[in-house]
Amino acid sequence: MSGAEVTLKNIFKSWNEISALNDISLDVPAGKFTALLGPSGCGKSTALRIVSGLEEPTSGQVFIGGNDVTHIPPAARDIAMVFQSYALFPHLTVAENIVFGLRVRGLVRKERDEKLKATAQLLGLSELLDRKPSQLSGGQQQRVALGRAIVADKSIFLMDEPLSNLDAKLRAEMREEIRALQDRLGVTMLYVTHDQVEAVTMADQVVLMNHGRVEQVASPRVMYEMPATLFAAKFIGTPPMVTFSPQLLSHSLTPSLLKKSQNLTFGIRPESLTLNDSGLINGTVGNVEYLGADALIECKVGDEFLLCRAPGRTQLTEGTPINLAFNVKDLHVFNTASGQRTDNMLPEIEMALSSQNASSELAS
Amino acid sequence: MRNSAKHQWIYAWLLLSPAMIFLITFTHYPAVQTVISSFFSTGRGRRKSVFIGWDNYATLLLDEVFWKVLVNNFWYAIWTIPLSIIFSLAMALWVNDKLRGRGFLRMAYFTPTVLPLIAVANIWLFFYTPGFGLIDQIRGLFGFAEQNWMGSPDTALYSMIAVAIWKEAGFFMIFYLAALQTIPPSLREAASIEGASKFYYFRRVIFPLLMPTTLFVSINAVINSFRLVDHIFVMTEGGPNNSSSLLLFYIYEVAFDYWDTAYAATLTVVMLAILTTVAIGQFFFLDKKVHYK
Ligand SMILES: Nc1ncnc2c1ncn2[C@@H]1O[C@H](COP(=O)(O)OP(=O)(O)OP(=O)(O)O)[C@@H](O)[C@H]1O
Ligand SMILES: [Mg+2]
Repeated sequence: MSGAEVTLKNIFKSWNEISALNDISLDVPAGKFTALLGPSGCGKSTALRIVSGLEEPTSGQVFIGGNDVTHIPPAARDIAMVFQSYALFPHLTVAENIVFGLRVRGLVRKERDEKLKATAQLLGLSELLDRKPSQLSGGQQQRVALGRAIVADKSIFLMDEPLSNLDAKLRAEMREEIRALQDRLGVTMLYVTHDQVEAVTMADQVVLMNHGRVEQVASPRVMYEMPATLFAAKFIGTPPMVTFSPQLLSHSLTPSLLKKSQNLTFGIRPESLTLNDSGLINGTVGNVEYLGADALIECKVGDEFLLCRAPGRTQLTEGTPINLAFNVKDLHVFNTASGQRTDNMLPEIEMALSSQNASSELAS
Repeated sequence: MRNSAKHQWIYAWLLLSPAMIFLITFTHYPAVQTVISSFFSTGRGRRKSVFIGWDNYATLLLDEVFWKVLVNNFWYAIWTIPLSIIFSLAMALWVNDKLRGRGFLRMAYFTPTVLPLIAVANIWLFFYTPGFGLIDQIRGLFGFAEQNWMGSPDTALYSMIAVAIWKEAGFFMIFYLAALQTIPPSLREAASIEGASKFYYFRRVIFPLLMPTTLFVSINAVINSFRLVDHIFVMTEGGPNNSSSLLLFYIYEVAFDYWDTAYAATLTVVMLAILTTVAIGQFFFLDKKVHYK
């Protein structure tokens, strides 16, 4: 079994007045793990349901393995799906739940039993086959739902927030398990989540959505290091990227450059901000959030707040003046109005700041 | 300590007593009295009621009318129970689907239940009237002859059965509808992704999940098949020649037309015995097949 690719082409979806998807085009590469990420209500589930065929797009096309399947029923699409609520049949045993689809397709008993055995073994469900779903823990129910998907031998797996009903520890375990499973089966995975940690840790490719549109499609690393929009910068990372107006660096930038940067927003990751007496940003300590290994320090500059990561043993207290330094290479520049990344101003800004840095280093 | 415990007892009895007095005077006492009466003769004028042992039961075995109404009741049950359940389930499935104006449909189906059976009987009286009743008018369009639905011994019982089904199905539909609404739509979606047809999904998922409701509804249907006789008073009065008389209707006749109260008590005991046996049997038979959440 190996995956097939999924392609969405100019998908629109609306219910009467409510528009859920607005011109979504998307490539889900074969055999890879793709996460659909975005805030609540952005249309992730709708997109997934359109791929599954449970929902028809208002316009646009869906391709699976190169074939147009826009008007083909779910069962003929070569997909398996795991629902957020698991959708297990409460009156059937674990075994019956897993082989439900095989029975529908009229597989003979011997084959059914073989597949059931293999799947149960793979998921560690062999002891539980005679139980009803209500007699299982959340994690076990989750596995049964996975089992139902695996046993179907489909080449595309669709999952809609499959881990959101589990506690934090189990969620971390299942994350690894699902990822390992996808690797092992080689299926194409389309995985919906609103949890960026989940998306970043599991996926080969992250599709970030917002308000029914695709914001960015990239690998987790690229999405983190080169967010294409302000929204992406703010959505990925805990804590998210710190953004501030160029005004904050007014004493380091030439007036003409400052003028040109008027409609820009700067961004920087909290871990790229370091406490340094010769730093360019001068402020006072606000809130200090202790996280164990490190602490998040809120730095108040004018009426803006920046977050920076410091070692957990830091003794800083509120009101202390501090200076923050950063490597100019870590600066991100966005157009404030459109939210788009604008790299063309970057060299000029870098130049101005690095000369400033150099002179301040000389002075000290 | 002892004093306050005693007080609590008194308090408890005081709280219980109103309900208990009503229950005992109107339910338990008459029930026991009925059983006792069935072993006595009916007192008339100067003749006192005396203990006669199983005599009333012996009479009953030889009573042709009793056997006739029992057979009638049997057919009445055989038709009304399954048909009202099937219709109610079908209506509930239909109304539960996403369809236009389903609020109106639900109300329409439920109306027969809200109406008193006496009113329902009057409506049907019009349907059945020979010649210009609704049914005969429609039949007339196709050139069929007039038919006296309630006046002919062959059709009287079945006319009553139709009314009962019409009355009951809407009521049972409400229970099925409530149960259907508790089934999450994701089950339907999971089944459709596996390629299950609508019918397969009904057979393997919906129907089993509705079993507790079916059990409840069927016990009610059994009880109603003995209890729902109001329309017979209005429409046929058991006739012609007892062809549409049912057990409860016969009991009423014996008790309040012939004033043979002891014999009526005997009939009542028999009816209760039948009902209890059927309900218990049903419960044990079906309970094994029911999945409770
Ligand atoms: N059946 C429907 N009828 C009308 N509007 C709908 C329907 N389903 C979804 N919507 C709307 O479409 C938008 C996108 O919904 P969707 O369920 O795809 O969001 P989501 O990204 O999955 O959110 P969440 O993370 O909360 O699950 C929402 O504004 C929602 O209200
Ligand atoms: Mg969703």
